[in-house]
Amino acid sequence: MKKYLLFNLLICLGVFIIRPVYAAPCTKDSTQNLCVDVAVENSSGSAQENIVVYLLPMDGQPLTEQSPVITISQKDKAFAPYISVSQRNQQVDFVNQDNITHHIYSVNSGNNFAFKIKQDEAYTLNSFNNSAAIAMGCNIHDWMSGHLLIVDTPYFGKTDKQGKVSFAIKQPGRYQIVVWHPQLPTEKNQVQQTERITTSGQYLISLPKPLLALPSQESSEDFDFISDY
Amino acid sequence: MKSLKHKIFLWIVALLLIVQALAFWTLYHGNRNQQQAEIDNQLNTARIIVSELFERRIDYLAAFAETAAKDYGLKQVFNEDKRSLLVALNNHRKRINADLAMAVSIQGDITGQLLRVFPASSKAPAGKEGKVVQGPESGQEFRHPEWFHSEQTAHLYLINGDLYQLSMSSLNVGSTTIGWLAFGFQIDERLANEFKSITNLDTDFILKNHNKRQLVAGTHIGKSQSQQLAMSEAIDNHNIPEHYIATHLPIKQFDEQILNVYIYGLRANIVSLLQEQWFNLLSLALLTLLLSLVSAYLIASSISEPLKRLVTQAKAIASGQYHQTIQLYEKNEVGQLAHEFNEMQTAVLEREKAITHFANHDPLTDLPNRNKLNEVVSTLINENKHFTLLHLNLRRLKEVNATLGHEVGDEVIKELAKRLQLISSNSTIKLLVHLGGDEFLFVVNGDSVDNTVEEILTQLEPSFLFQGISLELQVRIGVANFPEHSHDAIKLIQMADTALHHTRKHNRLVQVYHSELDVNSVERLSLINDLKQAIPANELELHYQPKLNLKTGIVTHAEALVRWSHPKLGMIPPDDFIYIAEQTGQIKALTRWVFFTAMQQSKQWKELGIDINIAVNISAENLKEPDFYPYICNTIKQFNIDTNQVTLEVTESSVVEDTESAITLLSRFKEQGLKISIDDYGTGYSSLAQLKQLPVHELKIDKSFVQQLQSDENDQTIVRSTIALAHNMGLHVVAEGIEDQFSLLWLAEHQCELAQGYFISKPKPAKTLTPWLLDTPDFLQKKQHSTIQGD
Repeated sequence: MKKYLLFNLLICLGVFIIRPVYAAPCTKDSTQNLCVDVAVENSSGSAQENIVVYLLPMDGQPLTEQSPVITISQKDKAFAPYISVSQRNQQVDFVNQDNITHHIYSVNSGNNFAFKIKQDEAYTLNSFNNSAAIAMGCNIHDWMSGHLLIVDTPYFGKTDKQGKVSFAIKQPGRYQIVVWHPQLPTEKNQVQQTERITTSGQYLISLPKPLLALPSQESSEDFDFISDY
Repeated sequence: MKSLKHKIFLWIVALLLIVQALAFWTLYHGNRNQQQAEIDNQLNTARIIVSELFERRIDYLAAFAETAAKDYGLKQVFNEDKRSLLVALNNHRKRINADLAMAVSIQGDITGQLLRVFPASSKAPAGKEGKVVQGPESGQEFRHPEWFHSEQTAHLYLINGDLYQLSMSSLNVGSTTIGWLAFGFQIDERLANEFKSITNLDTDFILKNHNKRQLVAGTHIGKSQSQQLAMSEAIDNHNIPEHYIATHLPIKQFDEQILNVYIYGLRANIVSLLQEQWFNLLSLALLTLLLSLVSAYLIASSISEPLKRLVTQAKAIASGQYHQTIQLYEKNEVGQLAHEFNEMQTAVLEREKAITHFANHDPLTDLPNRNKLNEVVSTLINENKHFTLLHLNLRRLKEVNATLGHEVGDEVIKELAKRLQLISSNSTIKLLVHLGGDEFLFVVNGDSVDNTVEEILTQLEPSFLFQGISLELQVRIGVANFPEHSHDAIKLIQMADTALHHTRKHNRLVQVYHSELDVNSVERLSLINDLKQAIPANELELHYQPKLNLKTGIVTHAEALVRWSHPKLGMIPPDDFIYIAEQTGQIKALTRWVFFTAMQQSKQWKELGIDINIAVNISAENLKEPDFYPYICNTIKQFNIDTNQVTLEVTESSVVEDTESAITLLSRFKEQGLKISIDDYGTGYSSLAQLKQLPVHELKIDKSFVQQLQSDENDQTIVRSTIALAHNMGLHVVAEGIEDQFSLLWLAEHQCELAQGYFISKPKPAKTLTPWLLDTPDFLQKKQHSTIQGD
């Protein structure tokens, strides 16, 4: 069973795509901004793509900037993207791009929700008042698995193919650089390090352990009769 | 001796016993094998059932845990208040009547635990469902965090000494695990009893830890825990008690822990059914054996019964009872046998009649034979009636047989029988018997003998004409009377025979028995044996009868005649034993002795100056001996005798038998210079043609022609013409039986050369004859002349 999952996983690695980088692009000419690059490498030393990185201010720096609204799609009976990150108090949109009804739910982390979303419908949640790692499932399609990370900071993003993500920091000071991934087998699925950021610079975070296998979000049934209607 | 019935019965019984024993043995072995197979089968089945049940429970539990973990309702309340979680958990538990339901948080703590319990005191009030309580581990850390990520779906889980088989399943939101669910069934007495109800065998569940056995549960009715443990140990050591059957099944699906299931039961419980079958079979076998014995007896009887009757019948036939037949209506072989038996009986009866007839009748003439004679004579003697036996003998039959053949001889006998039968119709004649050959016998009433004899002679007077040959039927008759001669039938018949014999010897027609006749014939049989001893015992003696030369009156010849001085009977005449010697093959030795002795004597006489030719009688048998010729020649040579001083006397009949070879042999003797003389001339049938061929020197006229020469003119004619005939053929003539001077002179007058007879001299031993020869009387009154000549 496990072998089979692994096999699927390898095939479907290509699905693992993260397009938008929500952090504002850092411009060198803007004097008030500090450009901070965070590079993540995995335990074997190569660039780690698609891993969440966010910076939490440690010295009470005011964080006013509101990040844009994110959309979590249900496409091909899978959450797309697999991992979404949103700032606290920001709404999250759900869009069903499949021609089938989904029943999206979450039962842990004090952010329990459940709703049905028919084909081509959208649904908006506004209830994320605390930072939390929310695991989502579909009560109809057991294999569907998605993660919504609510962070209390506007500085968050996911690494690109080079394992890098950039942040334009307005206030210098100490920040906790957090790297999170649901398959990161550490406490709370994260690693963090605190840095005093006063100038632009680059920080390298090495993951202590390799990531666990990603869920394939595909039916383990040999024959998916649902796809036919 | 065992009867057929017993034999058949015993064989069938033996056969049956063997068959039964074989069948029983086969059955017994089959039964034993069946028992073992049954036991093996039962144990195997039990193992399969237990194994299968466990498998099913494991799969069932695992599938259920997995399904329950997918339940959204449960997920929703999983991290909510405990009460809601327990209710949801119990709802699921109830669906499969699980004995254990448990929720474990993502942190590894037991957030909810439900147990179904059955109060130990009495199971009944709690009912089948038991009672659900919160488990003691609620809030505690789960003891087996290694199971969270284990692939193993079944585990053994102990709570306060109760053992559960457990299946865990993770509770996921998407791919994220938020906790675990576990459901379990208790491994307890209920399970053991369930197994027992299916397999009919006791079942114990035992855990082993470092060789320490822990009894989890079992069907322990009437058994202590230690007994159960001991049993499991015995099973492991393959040391199962004799009256138990048992097996061991390790359930290995639970992690590293092995649940040992021991299944066992009393052998008797399983075998009892077979045992019952066994006794049924035994009684059935005994019954069939009994029936078989009865039927074997009946079969044996049915076979032997008709045979017994046949045996009885055969005995009856053997004892001569032919008149009852056997009646068997069976169509089988025995019936056929009975039929054949009856046929045989008839055939035997007929054949016996025929045999009896043949035994009592002569085959040629169909007249009663000697057996009948003995019977009748014995009867007559018993009745004490006077009667007479007339023993008849046809004369010259031998010559008829020799010249005309036996067929003609038989015809003659038949003719004789026919004519005698005509007489036997006369009432005075009791019986006519054909004794065989040419001998017949009449049994006649005592007072009519003369008449009968007369009648016989009358009846036989006409000659018998057969194929143009006229044959004379002349008989001699010997007579014996009852009761004058003997009271014994056999002796009486013998006496008639003796009388008949006497007629032959003395050329008479009728001779009545008298005791003097008896001397020779009675002892005749013993003579045969005694004769063998005669030569070595020196009982034989040679006498010589001189022959007188009728021209010179001088004795020039002598005939050697053998005498037998029998130690008991005295002197026996040659007629009585020569015949026996010829018949018993002793004539060869006898003749040789005579010849040898005669030659010896001839030599002695020669030495005494007595010049005499000695004649020796030669039998027909001697002429057939291949070495006879050399013997004679050698003996003559041995004593240095002139061959012309020896004469061989041969009877007419002996030459007739085998003329050619006789002629050849006699010619050789003649060539050697020996004289050949034909003896008893005139009594045989020799023809002149034969006589002409014979190489002889002289004829010897039989004494029957010479004895009555003075009174019988016919004899004179015969002798005269015989002498003339002989002289014409160049032969000398010797006349025998000279008993008076007339004959002697008559013969001398008629030119007969030699004369021999009592008138001249009886045969005498050499001792007596030698002086006589030296001083011979002058028979022709020419003594003077003869003496002068002899000198």
